[in-house]
Amino acid sequence: MTLLTVKNLTKTYQDKTAVKNINFEFQYGKCIALIGPNGAGKTTILRTLAGLLKPNEGSVTFTNMKPNDDIRKYIGYLPQYPVFYSWMTGLEFLIYSGRLAFLPKMEAKTRAEELLKKVGIYDAKNQRIGKYSGGMKQRLGIAQAIIHKPKLLMLDEPVSSLDPIGRREVLTLMEELKHEMSILFSTHILSDADEISDELLLLHQGEIVEAGSMSELRQKYQTSTIKLQFKENLEGYQSKINALESISNSYMERDVLLVKATDIRLARQEILTTAAQQNWEMTSFTLDRASLEDMFMKVVKNECNG
Amino acid sequence: MTLFQKEMVENWRNKKWIWVPLVMIILAIMDPISNYYMPQIIEAVGGLPEGTVFELPDFAPAEVVMMSLAQFSTLGVLIIVLISMGTIAGERKSGISELILVKPVSYINYITAKWAALLILTLVSFFFGMLASWYYINILYGELSFENFLLIVLFYGLWLTFVVTLSIFYNAMIKTPGLVAFLTIFTIMVMRVITQVFHHLLNWSPNNLSNYIFEMLLTESIPSHLVGTASVTIMLSIILLIASIFIFKKKELAN
Repeated sequence: MTLLTVKNLTKTYQDKTAVKNINFEFQYGKCIALIGPNGAGKTTILRTLAGLLKPNEGSVTFTNMKPNDDIRKYIGYLPQYPVFYSWMTGLEFLIYSGRLAFLPKMEAKTRAEELLKKVGIYDAKNQRIGKYSGGMKQRLGIAQAIIHKPKLLMLDEPVSSLDPIGRREVLTLMEELKHEMSILFSTHILSDADEISDELLLLHQGEIVEAGSMSELRQKYQTSTIKLQFKENLEGYQSKINALESISNSYMERDVLLVKATDIRLARQEILTTAAQQNWEMTSFTLDRASLEDMFMKVVKNECNG
Repeated sequence: MTLFQKEMVENWRNKKWIWVPLVMIILAIMDPISNYYMPQIIEAVGGLPEGTVFELPDFAPAEVVMMSLAQFSTLGVLIIVLISMGTIAGERKSGISELILVKPVSYINYITAKWAALLILTLVSFFFGMLASWYYINILYGELSFENFLLIVLFYGLWLTFVVTLSIFYNAMIKTPGLVAFLTIFTIMVMRVITQVFHHLLNWSPNNLSNYIFEMLLTESIPSHLVGTASVTIMLSIILLIASIFIFKKKELAN
């Protein structure tokens, strides 16, 4: 079921186009990552969907939305650098957010307490937000975004400003939230997108340059590289491998031997059988799956060249 | 209502509800008291040659009221502008409005809640200031009826309402608090100059409110231009408030 349709979305600032002709459909229950380098237009897209910016052209429609309905009811949004009223306590801020979304008083309170537990800052609920750490603020930010049970949760760079522990916690939290609502988040950290998103939208200079599910994109950008590691004598093995029929070339990267094959299946077979026959002291054999990083570089390069 | 409550709590927590009334009281009673004790002050400070006879004017209560109002017109207005300059502009600048305005809050409520909370703070503070002034006038200078006191509060309160609304108007338009303050004060000054230059045409300019209040106190009756000016002030405030809401709705809130 389609949750949201974005059509021909274009947004121009005074002199420069931030987002050009964006089209995508958002399926219910998916987790989509917007990835792209800084300045690619990720924040602009999120802000436009949240209604904070008005598009110059195009439309954003939620399925089943009545005309003149306020889309803000259906979305939760966490900006990249959330700012709170530092004089409020965490609990007060959540209740306030809930009340702004028309939750009745009692419900706002119970929901706030529930979310404080869920995001793991219940112990600090009566502390002023001014004393919260960055990670706590980020978690409070997520809590305020979902207090009114939105259909779509939008997070702008939810983990990029956090330390490794905070990052892990927020990612785990997002993993949990995936079961309750659709999530759209932006990031420039590709491994995060790889880890939790179902689909990717690759943005470059305001345009979507590639879109699809992780596995689709993997297949499309599959490289034919095999990574090999040996206990010792890498050079010796390299010449042996180069002698194989299916190998086009190989090169060394520190203690890893990267092998380019003409036919990946054949190469695997050849390497493994030869290794078994000659009793190679191989410590690892990896078929290199296209990492997001490589994919991203490829797409961006193609764009530049083509 | 939620928005309004939050404003009230905020103004309480940041102590505005304490210092603004206090400052207003000080402004109101400063001149009445210092003028009354001027002979003693001069004597204590000294510096006058022996035998100098120095006639100090005896002030009528109405004149002393005008001294208090003059303080409100200058420092009082300045304080109002300073406490109001960041109420919306500051929230937008810091980015907190991004969290608030993606919630389904109506822009009308957002603006009017800010306006009402500021207005109540201003008017209550002004009321207490004027009450203190009225008290000292009665014991130091002579009788000023309670009815007159209420009329002063009512009519001069309209001027302060106008100032608050003007500040909200600029708040809705601009997101730099300092610029909001500057434009508000600048507008008031320009209005004053225009009122003086075209005084025969602009009889009902809001800037004339305090002159007519003086007239009211002298003649013991409400002059018709006072009512006219009051109506104009109310009208202008309403127009400004509606314009603020309108501008705010049209604005792109993330920029």
